[in-house]
Amino acid sequence: MKQRKFSYLVMVAVLFGLTMLMSACDLGGTASSATPNSGAAASNTPAGGAATSSTPATAAGAAIRVGLVTDVGKVDDKSFNQSAWEGVKGAADKNGYKANYIETADQKDYATNIQQFVSQKYDIIVTVGFLIADATNKAATANPGIQFIGVDQFQDPTKSPKNYTSLVFQEDQAGYLAGALAAYMSKTGHIGAVLGTDNVPPVYRYGEGYRQGALSVNSSIKVDTIYHEDNNAFNDPDWGSKTAGTLISNGADVIFGAGGKTGNGALIGLAQTAAQSGKTLYAIGVDTDQYLTVPEAQKYLLSSATKGLSDGTSTLVTMAANKQAPGGNFTGKVGLAPFHDLDSAVSQATKDKITKLTSDIASGAVKTGVAPVKPAK
Amino acid sequence: MEDQSISQSAPAAEEADTSQSRGLSAGVDDQLAPSTGGGKPRPSRSQAIFSALHSLLVPFLAVVTALLIGGVVIFISNVISPPVSTSPLYGNSPFNLTLRAYQGLWVGAFGSFDNISATIVTATPYIFGGLAVALGFRAGLFNIGVEGQIALGSLAAAAVGFNPAFAGLSPWLLVPMCLLAGCLAGAIWGGIPGLLKAQTGAHEVITTIMLNYIAIQIVSVVVNAVKPGNGQVRTPDISLNAHLPVLIATSTGLKQIHLGPIIAILAAIAVYWLLWRTTSGFELRTVGTNPSAARYAGISVKRNIMLAMALSGLLGGLAGAVEVTGVNFYHSQGFSAGYGFDSITVALLGKSNPFGVVIAALLFGALKSSAPSMQFYAGTPQDVVSIIQALILLFVAADEIVRYIYRVKSRGEEKVVLTRGWGG
Amino acid sequence: MQICGTDFWVTLINLLSNTLEFAAPLTLGALCGLFCERSGVVNIGIEGLMLTSAFFGFIVGSYSQNPWVGIIGAVISSVVLSGLHAVLSIRFKVDQIISGTVINILAVGLTGYLNRLFVDSGTLPAAVTLPKLGIPGLDQIPVLGALFVQPPITWLAVILVLVANYVMYFTRWGLRTRAVGENPGAADTVGINVYFMRYANVLIGGAIAGLAGAYFTLESTGTFETGMTHGSGFIALAALIFGKWTPLGLWGAALLFGLSQGLSITFQALQQSSDCQFGVSKDVLVMLPYILTILVLAGVVGRAVAPAADGQVYEKGR
Repeated sequence: MKQRKFSYLVMVAVLFGLTMLMSACDLGGTASSATPNSGAAASNTPAGGAATSSTPATAAGAAIRVGLVTDVGKVDDKSFNQSAWEGVKGAADKNGYKANYIETADQKDYATNIQQFVSQKYDIIVTVGFLIADATNKAATANPGIQFIGVDQFQDPTKSPKNYTSLVFQEDQAGYLAGALAAYMSKTGHIGAVLGTDNVPPVYRYGEGYRQGALSVNSSIKVDTIYHEDNNAFNDPDWGSKTAGTLISNGADVIFGAGGKTGNGALIGLAQTAAQSGKTLYAIGVDTDQYLTVPEAQKYLLSSATKGLSDGTSTLVTMAANKQAPGGNFTGKVGLAPFHDLDSAVSQATKDKITKLTSDIASGAVKTGVAPVKPAK
Repeated sequence: MEDQSISQSAPAAEEADTSQSRGLSAGVDDQLAPSTGGGKPRPSRSQAIFSALHSLLVPFLAVVTALLIGGVVIFISNVISPPVSTSPLYGNSPFNLTLRAYQGLWVGAFGSFDNISATIVTATPYIFGGLAVALGFRAGLFNIGVEGQIALGSLAAAAVGFNPAFAGLSPWLLVPMCLLAGCLAGAIWGGIPGLLKAQTGAHEVITTIMLNYIAIQIVSVVVNAVKPGNGQVRTPDISLNAHLPVLIATSTGLKQIHLGPIIAILAAIAVYWLLWRTTSGFELRTVGTNPSAARYAGISVKRNIMLAMALSGLLGGLAGAVEVTGVNFYHSQGFSAGYGFDSITVALLGKSNPFGVVIAALLFGALKSSAPSMQFYAGTPQDVVSIIQALILLFVAADEIVRYIYRVKSRGEEKVVLTRGWGG
Repeated sequence: MQICGTDFWVTLINLLSNTLEFAAPLTLGALCGLFCERSGVVNIGIEGLMLTSAFFGFIVGSYSQNPWVGIIGAVISSVVLSGLHAVLSIRFKVDQIISGTVINILAVGLTGYLNRLFVDSGTLPAAVTLPKLGIPGLDQIPVLGALFVQPPITWLAVILVLVANYVMYFTRWGLRTRAVGENPGAADTVGINVYFMRYANVLIGGAIAGLAGAYFTLESTGTFETGMTHGSGFIALAALIFGKWTPLGLWGAALLFGLSQGLSITFQALQQSSDCQFGVSKDVLVMLPYILTILVLAGVVGRAVAPAADGQVYEKGR
């Protein structure tokens, strides 16, 4: 009986302690509070080197605060969430803003995660990904005092509030360049692409741009573009690797991998096959310079079809902090990453042609002819 | 040991059951299911309260222990790798951050009315899903297919809700239609494995897993066929008349308490009533604990397998329908990901008791809905919540460990058989 | 012979090769389940074991820069975690479904969390992968030879099926294991240590699941991604039951699932040329094997009978 009493004592003590702890401490973030934090928070030291003050930021003259809400996924996903976060962090570190993020675990949390930053009176809120566009638009309409930046969210400017700027890219142009490069480099006249689902517009634009770019160089080239099914489209490296292997055994000698981890799997699969068979094979990465993010494929990575996600985010955040955000759609830069290890494998003639094509696309002299969204059947 | 009770009356079996079950569910059980048969004298009020408190003690200590270990995990993580976030809102002493992580969890779950509302709304699908799995367990069936049943229930409810032909209907008609469509889709999707098991012996564990994958593809095909032109892969929005009524509004208009939680509680009561207050419930449980005895007693095992799977699927479908009409207002591929498997956890945590499931789902809802807040305040990776969930389940299940740590003596009850593995 | 602009035999051999590889983790996962369940311990935590060992295989492999050492890391991590399952379900008599579920959730949280710690530290060296191994002689055959060049874990999966079949049915160990799984009371009476057999078999199963996890990181893709096993452990479970708890049966089931995954790639590759459309959308194609499984199960295989004491706690002297 004595032991049992002890247990109840523990139970009551813990309950009491928890309640005291939770109610007594002010997290320092609640908008209504201007008092310094008690207890645990009193020993606050600025984190990350960027902060200049540990008092609640509702105080006058506090630094600009930037919050980022990811698409379903994490800020270390080696993909667009990570790039966007790096952009936010870069701008914050450079200009002394304070940055924080929330990772979305479930699509229905988009709005509440944005609301977390709204209720803490953040100045700029960056949301990442195409699917979070609706929630961002609604939050921007409801909170005209906060600047919203939507990464990869094409908007209809007539239906969107002024404080909502979208960062968009013409992935078809980057894909077009990659396709042209692949066609120049292919010895077999057969190239391939392993992609996430074509139901996500940027992926569709990459894939079709790639096809059109290759055909513009060699109208008889065989271009295999294989898209993953919708489910798990960007997180299936095993499938990506096997699909790349299949395309290679069918004769393809350049593979474009575009679709998050699925695409990364294709790059690695190509590297494995090339190392094993001794064939001359080239991989082309996507979004960022994947020489840096997929080191396993470095020896065979010809280039990457890049979009300036980090730079674009960083630029827009800085503009927004200076109250100069443009509103509407802001088109970021696209292009090809350096050749790195394979620089010597690319002839000067090819380099010149790619350089010219890059400027022609930028000037609008060359059009990709790719629809922004996959047309309905 | 159910063998003997077969020959006796239903209340007697009831008696045996209540005295066996413990854990999260037992306290509720003791209160709501006082002994109806003969035998045991009615305990005095103080004894009853004490007994209820006692049966809640171990689960409570399990949760506390899990949270403490979770705290150690967070602390270690803060030491090894300070949060990458440069938020000014917290200091970065590892201990300080650990406290803040828990403050973030607390505030995120219960810190304001809006947050409590979000917790309840988040818990709702887990109540339905947990009930679905628990009902299966009670009938000796392992329904791994709740995932697919939720997805199709959600899709069916959305299909009725966005159908322009119904858009003009009164909410009094349209909302029930959506919910019914969800129930029907779920019941069919759960009923197929039931039928196959009853008629051919095809094991429900395989068929439900396969049906999950098929459901995903069906959703994909349908959603791609009806998606709006803006490039988003989802169904169109359902009509305003198909929205579940909001009972208590939040200041932000997000995750407001709608009718769904009420329906969920009613569903829990209904499942309890069915299982412990009706003859068919008694038959279901008998089939679950001892099919051969049930057969001997003249109970149709096949009929009960089909019934249990269809009802289980119906609850799953209802989970999806309530999510669509109460929270999401459209269906897309990503909206049901993971509910099915979490529902298994909720059912186990609730020890397959309807009211235990409700409590377990609320705990789950609180953890899920406050994880972003924890990350916001302390930069703690949200994966920690999964670790805490696993530890809670571990300690609730392996209560011997908890009893050992806190020196709580067992009252010497029999263990209730929750699942029968793969059954026969 | 040409099919849709590609060589038919190359396509076929490639399909078979992909089938073998896709089937490897499923086979190994199911073999893990076989050892556990034949001794009477239900293991629903295969998914968690695979995910955890995938992660530790990746980490150990990367730091040692040796994929073979990585495999050891994967196996050890999986054995440790299945040790937890064994202790919980045998010593603490926890419901085995619960114990397995604990492992599944724990694996998701733990790997996601540790991955964050390691990735953030930014010191992780480039990942390593296992080389493919050819059978000398056979791999020289034109076209067909490609089938005999496979990565090591894929080979191991095939070998372990045969070994498991031998162990289960032709050795004392197998006899004892099956006895413990069918009738632990009787086994105990004739002097078999029920607890020892169960512990040992769960740990053996864990080691095999470790190989399945290593497949994902060390053999297939080189890198770890959160949740990268996405349900393979449950399909392995289905394969185990589909194969009626026999090594050869579960292998057949795993090959069927592997074939379906391979087919979805092959069909799409073939449908690239516009004159070669089968009119089958990829959604239907992906769905087909699952429907097929249900039909086969309902029509041909019928009732699968688990080991009689599967999932039941054994208490000496009762």
